[in-house]
Amino acid sequence: MTSPFTRLTRGLRTAVAAAACTGLAASAARAQHLLVPMDDAQQNHLKAYGLTFNALKTGNKAEWFINYRGGAFLLPDEAEIRRRATLDGVTFEAIDNARVQQIRSELAAGNMDAVTLEKAPKIAIYTPPKAPPWDDAVTLALRYAGIEYTTVWDDEVMNGDLSKYDWLHLFHEDFTGQLNKLYLGFRDAAWFVEQRERNLDAAKRLGFNSIPTLKKAVAERIRQYVEGGGFLFAMCGATETLELAIAAHSADIAAAYADGTPIDEDVDGRMDWKRAMAFKDVHVEQSPFTNSMSDIDGHQVNVPARRQPLGQFTLFAFSAKFDPVNTMLVQNHRTVIPDYYGVTTSFTKATIKPGVSVLAYEEGAPWVKYIHGDYGKGSYTYLGGHDPEDPQHNIGNAPTDLALHTTSPGYRLILNNVLFPAAKKKPLKT
Amino acid sequence: MRRSRSDALRRVRRAALTFSIAVTALAPGWARAQAEPALPAKAMELELAGKWREALAAYRATLDESLTASVLGIERVYDQLGKRDSILPLIDSLIAKRPREPMLRTIQLRTLAYLHRNEAAAAAFERWVQISPREAAPYREYARLLLDEGRAASADTVLQRAQRALGGTRDITVEMAQLRAATGLWELSAKSWREALATSPYLDQAAVYSLFPTPDSIRPAVRDVFRAPPPQVEARRALALLELRWSSARAGWLVLRELPPTDDAVKAWIDFGDEAEASGAWLVARDAFAAALARKPSRELAVRAANDALTGGDPASAVSLLEPYAAATDSESVRTVLPVRVRALSALGRASEAEALIAANSGRLDSLARVRLVRMAAWGWVRAGDLAKARAALGTAAEGDDEDRTLGWIALYEGDLASARRILKRTSETNPELLLALALLGRTKVDSSPLVGRAFLALARGDSTAAAATLDSAARTVGDAGALLLAAAARIVSARKDDNAAIALWQRVAAEYPTAPEAAEAELEWARVLRRRGDSPGAIQRLEHMILTYPRSALVPQARRELDLARQSVPSTP
Repeated sequence: MTSPFTRLTRGLRTAVAAAACTGLAASAARAQHLLVPMDDAQQNHLKAYGLTFNALKTGNKAEWFINYRGGAFLLPDEAEIRRRATLDGVTFEAIDNARVQQIRSELAAGNMDAVTLEKAPKIAIYTPPKAPPWDDAVTLALRYAGIEYTTVWDDEVMNGDLSKYDWLHLFHEDFTGQLNKLYLGFRDAAWFVEQRERNLDAAKRLGFNSIPTLKKAVAERIRQYVEGGGFLFAMCGATETLELAIAAHSADIAAAYADGTPIDEDVDGRMDWKRAMAFKDVHVEQSPFTNSMSDIDGHQVNVPARRQPLGQFTLFAFSAKFDPVNTMLVQNHRTVIPDYYGVTTSFTKATIKPGVSVLAYEEGAPWVKYIHGDYGKGSYTYLGGHDPEDPQHNIGNAPTDLALHTTSPGYRLILNNVLFPAAKKKPLKT
Repeated sequence: MRRSRSDALRRVRRAALTFSIAVTALAPGWARAQAEPALPAKAMELELAGKWREALAAYRATLDESLTASVLGIERVYDQLGKRDSILPLIDSLIAKRPREPMLRTIQLRTLAYLHRNEAAAAAFERWVQISPREAAPYREYARLLLDEGRAASADTVLQRAQRALGGTRDITVEMAQLRAATGLWELSAKSWREALATSPYLDQAAVYSLFPTPDSIRPAVRDVFRAPPPQVEARRALALLELRWSSARAGWLVLRELPPTDDAVKAWIDFGDEAEASGAWLVARDAFAAALARKPSRELAVRAANDALTGGDPASAVSLLEPYAAATDSESVRTVLPVRVRALSALGRASEAEALIAANSGRLDSLARVRLVRMAAWGWVRAGDLAKARAALGTAAEGDDEDRTLGWIALYEGDLASARRILKRTSETNPELLLALALLGRTKVDSSPLVGRAFLALARGDSTAAAATLDSAARTVGDAGALLLAAAARIVSARKDDNAAIALWQRVAAEYPTAPEAAEAELEWARVLRRRGDSPGAIQRLEHMILTYPRSALVPQARRELDLARQSVPSTP
């Protein structure tokens, strides 16, 4: 039985809904595009990337206006996109074709450009099974932004599954197999024991006699993935240890506690840096008691006598028209960003190969923060540090809640990398 | 950050300076005669008056007779003039004359650190160590500065040297504790703090500040350090404060309660009661004061404990706590104990007992105090549900009088919304019940509703079941404020953890009053309950509907937060 009052309120609801739809229809009729500004007008930069990614995923095309309003996105004015933007609190402006033409004129006149985004990349994150998502800045960012990804681990990598993905992310995995040299300090901690057992199981399952040999083989598969055309994005300790593992093709760089044999005495001379992607002439840290892998990292956070203080890093300004790839990777509403520690915080300039693009640097320091380069048919990007919004990040700290950092410039650097493989390739002008 | 710390430092220095001058000015003649050589009073007055250059000259003139006060004064004045570096040549010349004077060395280090002249600071530290190799001061001062600058690694190096030079950590326990906290070694830091507190109990706040950021997972280890036998009052005190800052006043009290009731423990209980009061943990404060009362009875403390019990919603214990002073008729007891007893009895609905108390003491009360107590007793009749006696107790006080508010409430309870509206709108007080009443009276045009009166009366009597049911019924008769009354009923039902009943009410608000201000709130609360029950899809659906339907609601940021949690896009909070 429906009371007259209920009927009346239902009628009111219908009227309200109709009014809302009319409003949407009217504005949809006026505007053909949604401009998602990425400057200070944006209220949630991080979810703006998710909005764009999901628009691509549902078959829409998008454009990335690099160097325009902090790297704004142009999306079609679709009801679903508006709906998602409203739910996520992403700021957008409905604009018509005339306004788009006006913007294109501005782009043509300055150090700006429009990059077409075609297809949402398939993303794989290299992470142990059952790992909580909150210990990896990229997983944190992707989950917060609502970007879909698949997790892969040693079994999938060794089975050749990487070819299924456009983009691979590595975090603080230690590809030297020494479990980040935490054995001495944490060997009895439950989480460490579990990590070690998991890796030993994987090594046994896949036919390797130790964790270092397994990780070396995994690193080689990753190298081949990039060489074959994959996009690699690595942060924190994975950057340094991946390169060490690749260069240590015929050297033992793991301490005896990890593989039963000591590090080669002449390890520096046995490293083959021609195979590596970004680094050269690196000095390997041979002491198992020193919590450092090599001199790639400039900050050496876990070695008290060597630890360097945090400063701030500056994003390099590239030419949008001549160097669109590097320009995409540094899109931001800030150019100077406070630094943050990680197992590997930065990259010593002296160890970087010529031809590698430096995307962010610290003024006057012997290290840089963020680098990019091509390797074979693919490319890699390395970002130092663990968590852009947790500069010290000690073991046991609470995970970062990105809802409190919706405009994080550091996290934007990560998300630039997610969208960069979606860009339609243009012939280079240089 | 640096700016605010500097400002705070200036405020502290100014307060210290004001105090010094006040002491000098107020001291009797003989004392002043003795104090003058130690305090450059004229220079301080000039400084206080903002006559920086004159103050500088005056301080320089008194350097020989009062070195410490004059040098510190010069440092402050240079700071005001923005010329901190100008003190360095003076300090250098003074150090040449008195190379072992720690104050001069400290100012030198502090100034160099402020100017970011790190190498010069390191060199100054080395010179100090050279001249005082067996003293802790150089290591302590330099390590503190390094820690303040966030240079924990360098502080570590300095303190390791100190341990070698001094043969242990006894004289640098505080710095060790701070260093360990700065480098995330929380458990070790707690051990150092415990050690330091044993000799310097006044460091408890510093320990709390230092250990406050301990991650959740490591807090049990920190607790174990402070609770380890033998029980130490200072360590327990620091842990109790830490628990309070970690948002568990009750846990803090449990830490202290275990102490044997020595004089020091009783003092710690009273101090903790103060802290618990300041943080609004009323019943914890009551327990701390009550424990102290059992050892050291005091009327003043009993009144405080009873007040806390009342504010915390336990009037029965307030009556018990004041029982030993019930028969006291001295003027101080009448002034302090009687009002709390009357208030407590009224809160329990024992209005006749409250009135009897007032009558028994009427000869010792002035008229104003008596009127106030009578009004309290009238609230006792309200809580007993007898509005006629409440009105009678108030007598014939004219409107516009201080008693307006009580009369306004009684009118509301009687269902006379017109009178309640006229009287209550004048009040300047704010509490949840009054805000609800004012919102209702402002929203509805209805002038009379016995059902609304009964609902509010049930609320006043603390009968939440009847209040929710009557608000629900009243919503049907006061249509223009129906959403408000249903939302209020839902809040009450939800607080009783009756989720199904609350959802039914929110559902009605959303369905029957979609344009009411309460509709967005109802959907948000509904979604929260769904998420708490584990129905994330249901919560997401509700939240999406809420955000899309009411995109301009002030509650949208909260709804987005809930949406993130329901989608597991962010880590859930404990």
